[in-house]
Amino acid sequence: MGFFVGTDVGGTFTDIWVSADDGNTRVFKSPTTVDVLGGVIDAIRMAAESYGLTFDAFCAGIERFGHGTTIGLNALLTGNAAKTAVLTTRGFGDTLEIGRLRRQTSGMNEFERTDAYLRNRIPPLVPRSRIVEIDERIDANGTVIAPLDKAQARAELRALQRRGIEAIAVCTLWATVNPVHERRLRVLIDEELPGTFVSLSHEISPGVGEYARMSTTAANAALGPLAGRYLASLEARLQQASMRVPVLMMTCAGGVLPTSVLNDRPAYALFSGPAGGVMGSRATAKQIGLDNILTMDVGGTSFDVGVIVKGKPIMRSEISVAGADIRVLSIDVESIGAGGGSLASVEFGELRVGPRSAGANPGPACYGRGGTEPTATDADLVLGVLDPANFLGGRMQLDTAAAQRAIEEKVAKPLGMSLTEAAWGIRQILDSKMADLLRRMTIARGYDPREFTLLANGGAGPSHAWVLCEELGLDGFIVPAAATAESAYGTGNSDVGLTAERPAYVRVSPGGKPTAEHLARIAAALDSAAAEVRSNLGLAAPKATMTGERYVSIRFRGQTNHIDVPVDGGAFDLAAFADVTRRFETQYETLFGRGAAFSNAGYEILSVRVMGSAALAPPAAATKGEPLTSHKSRKVVFGDPKTPVGTAIYLTTFPQAGASVEGPAIIEFPGQSVVVPPGATAAADAFGNLHVTRTKP
Amino acid sequence: MHRSALRAPRCIASGAPGSDLSTINPIIFEVIRNRLIAITEEMRVALQSVSGSPTVTEASDFFTGLFTPVGAVASMGFQVAYHAPVSGAFIRHIGSKPSMTVADGDMFIGNDPYIAALHQNDVQMVAPIFAGTEIIAWAGVEAHETDVGGMDFASWSPKAKEIWQEGMRIPCVKLIDGGEMRDDVLEMIVTASRLPALLGLDIRAFIATLNVARDRVSELARRYGADVVTEAMGMVIASSEARMRARLKELPDGEFHAADFLEHDGHGNVLYTLDCRIEKRGDALTLDYSGSSRQSPGFINCTRPGLMGAVCGSVLPTFAFDMPWNQGALTPFEVVAPDGLICTAKFPAPVGSATVETVWVTANATMLALNKILAASPHYRHRAQGLHAGAMATFNLGGINQFGEPFGLHLMDPIAAGGAAWPGKDGVDGGGPITSPVSCIADVEKNEQVVPLFYFHRRLARDTGGPGKFRGGMSAEVSLTLGGIEQAHALVMTHGVEVPNGHGFAGGWPGATIRQTWGRNAAKDGRLTDGEWQVFPPKPGLMLMTNRDVFAVSWQGGGGYGDPLEREPEAVARDVAAGAVSPEAAEMVYGVCHNGLDRPATEARRTAIRLDRLGRPFTRDPEKMFPGAPTMALSESLFLAHDRHGWHVITRAGYILCTGSTRWRAGAVAKTWDKLPDTFMIRLHDDLAATTYYCPATGTLLAVDFHRRDEVPADDVVLDLDAVSRAQRSMK
Repeated sequence: MGFFVGTDVGGTFTDIWVSADDGNTRVFKSPTTVDVLGGVIDAIRMAAESYGLTFDAFCAGIERFGHGTTIGLNALLTGNAAKTAVLTTRGFGDTLEIGRLRRQTSGMNEFERTDAYLRNRIPPLVPRSRIVEIDERIDANGTVIAPLDKAQARAELRALQRRGIEAIAVCTLWATVNPVHERRLRVLIDEELPGTFVSLSHEISPGVGEYARMSTTAANAALGPLAGRYLASLEARLQQASMRVPVLMMTCAGGVLPTSVLNDRPAYALFSGPAGGVMGSRATAKQIGLDNILTMDVGGTSFDVGVIVKGKPIMRSEISVAGADIRVLSIDVESIGAGGGSLASVEFGELRVGPRSAGANPGPACYGRGGTEPTATDADLVLGVLDPANFLGGRMQLDTAAAQRAIEEKVAKPLGMSLTEAAWGIRQILDSKMADLLRRMTIARGYDPREFTLLANGGAGPSHAWVLCEELGLDGFIVPAAATAESAYGTGNSDVGLTAERPAYVRVSPGGKPTAEHLARIAAALDSAAAEVRSNLGLAAPKATMTGERYVSIRFRGQTNHIDVPVDGGAFDLAAFADVTRRFETQYETLFGRGAAFSNAGYEILSVRVMGSAALAPPAAATKGEPLTSHKSRKVVFGDPKTPVGTAIYLTTFPQAGASVEGPAIIEFPGQSVVVPPGATAAADAFGNLHVTRTKP
Repeated sequence: MHRSALRAPRCIASGAPGSDLSTINPIIFEVIRNRLIAITEEMRVALQSVSGSPTVTEASDFFTGLFTPVGAVASMGFQVAYHAPVSGAFIRHIGSKPSMTVADGDMFIGNDPYIAALHQNDVQMVAPIFAGTEIIAWAGVEAHETDVGGMDFASWSPKAKEIWQEGMRIPCVKLIDGGEMRDDVLEMIVTASRLPALLGLDIRAFIATLNVARDRVSELARRYGADVVTEAMGMVIASSEARMRARLKELPDGEFHAADFLEHDGHGNVLYTLDCRIEKRGDALTLDYSGSSRQSPGFINCTRPGLMGAVCGSVLPTFAFDMPWNQGALTPFEVVAPDGLICTAKFPAPVGSATVETVWVTANATMLALNKILAASPHYRHRAQGLHAGAMATFNLGGINQFGEPFGLHLMDPIAAGGAAWPGKDGVDGGGPITSPVSCIADVEKNEQVVPLFYFHRRLARDTGGPGKFRGGMSAEVSLTLGGIEQAHALVMTHGVEVPNGHGFAGGWPGATIRQTWGRNAAKDGRLTDGEWQVFPPKPGLMLMTNRDVFAVSWQGGGGYGDPLEREPEAVARDVAAGAVSPEAAEMVYGVCHNGLDRPATEARRTAIRLDRLGRPFTRDPEKMFPGAPTMALSESLFLAHDRHGWHVITRAGYILCTGSTRWRAGAVAKTWDKLPDTFMIRLHDDLAATTYYCPATGTLLAVDFHRRDEVPADDVVLDLDAVSRAQRSMK
């Protein structure tokens, strides 16, 4: 038997998704372990057992192994990454310290931002004592102003020798335009400190702007030894158990990469969990032939949203990790503190919900772990959305009385409301915050949310989705078959992908045209990026068909923000430039409204990007499932807290194709409850995805 | 005497949600409140995405907000807080002009400091939001524009004597009439600027921002009803007012005082005082600026809108740190100031550089005085501190850039001055101001890419952080020449070269003063050479800069907290190792010898410094020593203690400084300085002096005051001791 496997290590659980050629896909969760690797092996073992196979026999049958992990992120957050030094240009050694003034406010939420007392909680990625200034300088045109002082560099490296440095990040000014000094420094490091992990900024993050580039290179270097070790031992362990395929790691940009390509650039996989979730949703959407997707994931503490337009996730070029700006192309997943654990409180007669969260400990009041403050999960229990006896597939008994008490005392009484009114109020406030984020991700970017399909993931996603559809005017939502482990599903269903970027600065004055030299500069950058993509993808997936998409980053002259617009294949000539500006203005007006474009300002092209991917064969689709039958019913609040509605309850792990139920209904899966409001229908498709559709009034 | 409340007229009678006055339920209220915040955030995104000004896109020198029909701010972004009352005044100005018709689809533009602006560079636009025929709200947006015309580029003219010589003034003009752009008006406005394309792009950004606000608020009104939305906006404001009044009630009653100074008005190196006297009773507070200097002949003045902006920018981060920022948090504050002061300049005084001069220094004095209230509160004293980023120096450059285009730049790096220390932690190195919570600076590479600058360094400057038990943050410093062009016109000006505006607190010293230097022929082909270096006075003004010249500047450090002799020797050693403090300063200022390793030597050195401070042996007269424990703290080393004689102010050692009031200065050993030792890196203006106060029993530094040489510092904290007694009794 052949298995397609996706795995994702989260903070609490390690998820595994398996598709076998015999039928249903399966999902398992195993507690994440401190060493991370153990949790992954445990999860694989659970899957193997479910097929009645030994660990080795299961591994031998694996045809694709996708993997996502937060190991790098955790190492950076806890300061457990490799002991790293940074080499940079003389005069600029405080770059990480100053952090463009952004580091000090990084990670502050909307309530904290006004409070200067809370600033500067996160130290720089590398302390000043491990930053070394090198005598050298290159200017914006790439001209060597001060040649590299090799003797000084060697002396500094020798001094580092005694300090137990495990990794070195090299980031000199304008290395992106002329990398000669960074390259020479690598040679010197190899000579003076052989065996040290080295990252060069122009290779890891070739963008203009030294703070984010230095942060990214430093993070990459700090993760290099660690991530390499982890991936090597995971791969070794699985190959020892007769797995024949490589481990494919999920990257922030949504493509997977084999360890052979990723080992030099672990920063690319820093934030793989959210990317995996969006890629999972994209795979689900592809399965059922959908193009425009809003993906949402509601867990215990946060609400994450990604947007897929015409099959392509919306990307961003920077993320903020461990207080630093990390310049790694990433799927744009926006997050707010709104989830099952969001705390509700009354202050000055006002009800606030989130962003504070009860976390897992003590957790919601109904967990019975000593929490007395009401949370959204407590509200769901009071409203009848959750079954106290069937939470997490019955693994946890919820304390309804504790939930009632918390809401009664902390919300209902202070506001003079009934218990259910208060519980419904908590839900309304939380749901409206979620709707605000969905609006920001669509309407604020010029998209009409009604042209999108909402995919509800995470434990609490499928119970909030119906309200969000009403808020945004959507007809319905889909709960993917792997909704509780969508990131794991994503790692097992993504193509191999790598993006290469090259800076190419071209400035065109109003009414002017780029010169032949300008055009050649852009063409050369595109070629160089394409070559990097080709050679790496060739290693990663030698037999697959490769496709590449080319983009140019452009803005109106003087702006700071740019837009990435696609470029057709072929030579980059004046016609191609005209295409680029035309597309730019069209996209710009989509974003900022008709008439907003201002070609009188002229243009600046900043960089180019080639996104390459190599398609892997998709797993066979699932076919079997069980019919949906109602076991019981209970009263659930839908909109009007005064009149709960008798609601049929269904229990299933995998609904049969074509099975359908009429709302009001709740379909309880292990780990999630799909709420089907009155007037809506839920129907399962051939892949186990559940389509909940509102009937138009 | 002119008294102005910071409150806008009430639009509707509304109470806190849940109270009898409100008719909408707390759930709908909270949903709408969150929507208003989300809308303000969307306005920010729209503005920053479209704008072409680095002041907007990088430094966040802009404002977005939603206002009630009468101009009370209901929701604002986390940008420059100074601006909130200004747009409100602009909206009320429109309402006060019978000739001004307001219709759906209109947008108004203006920048006249004598109507509503901090200075002419702050161009603002507002738009009414209608539901049917009624205005339910206004949206406002403002940004600093690099050039709005006038006699000098960047519109700051050190030589200006009247406002007509400065940037154009747009009183209040309808730029969009019923949805139609008045192209002729737009052309007139951008034509006045040396950078018409940049101004044109930003005006488009304003329009996009106001469109976003109008669409979203209209949608909200359609969904919940216009009356519900306006009532919710009123409740949002009432809620912050209730929170601020509750905070004020927690804080001690009394009179508090602080002053800050600013030197050079463009014409002469005159010292001006910004004097802030606070009277705080119960849940209300009066800020009185009557003791400030008369208005100046030069461009450093601000008009009354500038004063109100400064008060807003000071109150919000200091007292409203944990509540939604809107009009309600300002309502309990009353401002007293006669016309004709440097902070209430009368027409036609020039005000071009108001924001970085008088507005900034007014905010300094105000924040310092407000912090003295926090220090006397057991609940809030952990946040009482000196000043962050006491000045923002100017380096502007204009001419033809490396691409052959006319350009003008306003360097934003100077906001990377030091942050103030807290009682318990050091200030943030390069922390910048707290009046705009999310400002940042551009990368060196991003600057070098688009403007003709070439940097030799951008780094943290040693010994600039204000010494203290907790050290103020270091300032950053830069050194640069021209890149890619041969020459350009530079404007160099600041205050704070001879005034340490980054005041310390409770015995902490201010951060270093600004040091701006100029090296003629000090660079060739991007490499430093031996040139002729000079140290600039505060406002050298306009000059020609060539690619052989080097401008090097370090800004003010943040204020320290507490006596530097009480800093842990290990912390000083770490500072020395990290390059934050020089070995000389470690020994002279912190009394730490041999890098802190030699404990006995350090103790001996510290005792010697304490004795030297007093100029006599320690006084341990038993009659002067309070035998019991103090009741509460006034600051780091000053306490209130009570016995049968009444209230005393005592030092940490128990030395009684005064009895029956909190006017303790007369009982301390005082020393006045016209010049400070070089290790402090603080230069003093000819009319400015520092007075230090020490505990007679230990030589501990209690406070450092800066004052005019011909004046004696006033007592700055005069608590209402009857109220303290009442509070003590009620606690028992």
